[in-house]
Amino acid sequence: MMYLNNAATTYPKPQCVTDAHTAALSAPPAGQFRSSGQGRVKDVFTGCRENLGRLLGIGSPERIYFTSGATDSLNQLFHGMERKGKKILVTQTEHNSVLRPLYNGMAAGAEVEILSCDKYGQVSPEVFEERISPETGLLVLNHCSNVTGMIQDAARFGEIAEKHGILFMLDASQSAGCIPVDCDGWHVDALVFTGHKGLFGPQGTGGFFLRKGVGMRPYRYGGTGRDSSRLVYGDGDYEYETGTQNGHGIQALGAGVEYILDRGVERIAEAEKRLMGILYDGLSEIQGVTVYGEKGRNLGPVLSMNLKGLRPSELAYILQNGYETVVRAGFHCAPLIHQAMGTEEQGTVRVSISALTEEQEVLQFLEILREIAAAAEN
Amino acid sequence: MNILEIIPSRERCAEAGWHAYDFILEHPMDDDFIKSMRPLGSFLYMQMLKKPFFKIESEHYLLKGIRGDEFFRMAVHGDYLDEIKHVENMILNG
Repeated sequence: MMYLNNAATTYPKPQCVTDAHTAALSAPPAGQFRSSGQGRVKDVFTGCRENLGRLLGIGSPERIYFTSGATDSLNQLFHGMERKGKKILVTQTEHNSVLRPLYNGMAAGAEVEILSCDKYGQVSPEVFEERISPETGLLVLNHCSNVTGMIQDAARFGEIAEKHGILFMLDASQSAGCIPVDCDGWHVDALVFTGHKGLFGPQGTGGFFLRKGVGMRPYRYGGTGRDSSRLVYGDGDYEYETGTQNGHGIQALGAGVEYILDRGVERIAEAEKRLMGILYDGLSEIQGVTVYGEKGRNLGPVLSMNLKGLRPSELAYILQNGYETVVRAGFHCAPLIHQAMGTEEQGTVRVSISALTEEQEVLQFLEILREIAAAAEN
Repeated sequence: MNILEIIPSRERCAEAGWHAYDFILEHPMDDDFIKSMRPLGSFLYMQMLKKPFFKIESEHYLLKGIRGDEFFRMAVHGDYLDEIKHVENMILNG
């Protein structure tokens, strides 16, 4: 089986992740703030937070909060995070994990405005600046498109948001672990990540970072293992990790983050860029293939394509059932970007790699596609 | 050909807005069976492939499958779910 659906969930995981998960399930559970402690040995939660801080450029890792993933994080943030105005600017590239909470009232009283992207998925920081009004309170930016692999200039967006006093939320679900992220340097107020993609953690892990001074009402209350006699929180004095945490998952996520730090995210980004270059070059030579991006322009580890004569779902079906090759077909839970790409009727086939994808797999995929394209042409 | 079961497909997102069902068959599909479904709609058969793929397209549904498999998939628009019965009858009655 060849797996090229890493933008959904990475597979395989590094061996250290599997080992950490197994070890966590085989050992007495780690309860955050709830046990007698182990002296100087760092607990898995703190260790994971610190490593995430190193990887994502967060100097105050204690302000990273674990959740079940990016969707959970975004719902919590939209529900309770302060906004400096009622208008929220979001990009056309956003995933439904952003769009659906906003369009279904999770951010009460907010007005949502869409910042358009071009056909490659690129959003202009200058257009963002032009669209700022006194009512604008928050910018939500999808760092790397899960459809076209376009990476936005987060540093420039952050600079503009900072200049105008607008809060800046960065969705790093698709970029964390794949390309360098500099949360502090880019003036990010809230950063969202998921564990099961480029960070190589298990599904059901993820979290968010919230900058000190940015207020947020919790989405839920409950046991936290700390200060149990207190029943009412003072205004602003909240806790965000309630209930028993996914300790097993966080231990495995921690191993994934360590793997990336050991290998080096810059080196991973280079390796993925090289493989994507092979993919772009190879696809451009196949008759009937349309690629919705360009080598050297769309730099993330994911691309979208279509083949003349077949719907995306048909090509994915042939790949899956005829060649045991897993890709994804459709809209990829990001419906608005397809209007810019011209694929709003049927979507695309998405091909995505990870730091563990091998060149041989990319070459084999191209070979398979040549065969299918030749058959589709006849 | 006998149909053992018609089950909702796992491939829901790919058929954006449509419902998808898998027809589980008693035997693997061969050339004769695939070609016998030709009256159900416009017919594409990619026989050159290592595992030949077919699709049959009508206004309200789409069938697709691979020769040798013991199932094929039907995507049908939500307003025309009665077409499932039509396809089922066509297969059962040849």
